[in-house]
Amino acid sequence: MTLTGMRKHVGVLEQAQLVTTEKVGRVRTCRLGPRRLDDETAWIERYRQLWNARFDELDKVIEDLQRKETVDGRHERD
Amino acid sequence: MDATNVTEPTRIEDDATVERRSERELVVSRTVKGPARIVFDAWTKPELFERWWAPKSFPISLLSCEMDVRVGGRYRLVFGYEGSTMEFFGRYLEVTPRSRLVWTNDEGEHDETITTVTFDEDRGTTRVVVHDLHPSKEALDAAIASGSTSGMPEALAQLDELLVILSASEAPSGAMPS
Repeated sequence: MTLTGMRKHVGVLEQAQLVTTEKVGRVRTCRLGPRRLDDETAWIERYRQLWNARFDELDKVIEDLQRKETVDGRHERD
Repeated sequence: MDATNVTEPTRIEDDATVERRSERELVVSRTVKGPARIVFDAWTKPELFERWWAPKSFPISLLSCEMDVRVGGRYRLVFGYEGSTMEFFGRYLEVTPRSRLVWTNDEGEHDETITTVTFDEDRGTTRVVVHDLHPSKEALDAAIASGSTSGMPEALAQLDELLVILSASEAPSGAMPS
């Protein structure tokens, strides 16, 4: 995983108040946030993040396919 | 009157929802911007499926993907994670183009989990609902406890720990742009 990807993940966890982070110099330290979750809720949140990421990639594929169809459609009419 | 509402843009839900609907059922849903015909293709053509099933932002990769999408046909997905591989496989029970897919998840040790995906088109967008029916309450509880579920490597459960470690060592050298 890239550093950018990792930052994004930490950002999501931070927004959900599952972690808090503090940056001192170059080091950012994560701690568990105020919102303690039971195991099932935490697991569902992780699972949701996986599916969100999956669907975001799926959106790109769909967009790509639709764009190609439009282009091909134009060629056929020409 | 309601005239003020006219300017409000139609917002498509961008967030997937996940719900444990019953002791044995887990349901994921999300609306995708595109017709069901194309969305269904993205779920059933391996060359399209492998472009999104293992998201780039997760530390897993889809090494191979074989799908024989017809009733009784089999699929096999091989994932890579930190040098090791995991396989997920099963067979298709129902294949209704543009509307419904049902498959088994046979990689587990016990009874199989059944996954049903439905595609509902509405004005150019498609509501996708992924429904997992586990063989028992205990099976779903165990999947949650171990951090795994169908199609999701157990290793993902360790992601939180990894996050904390990597974040703590964020940009330790000058090599990475901050």
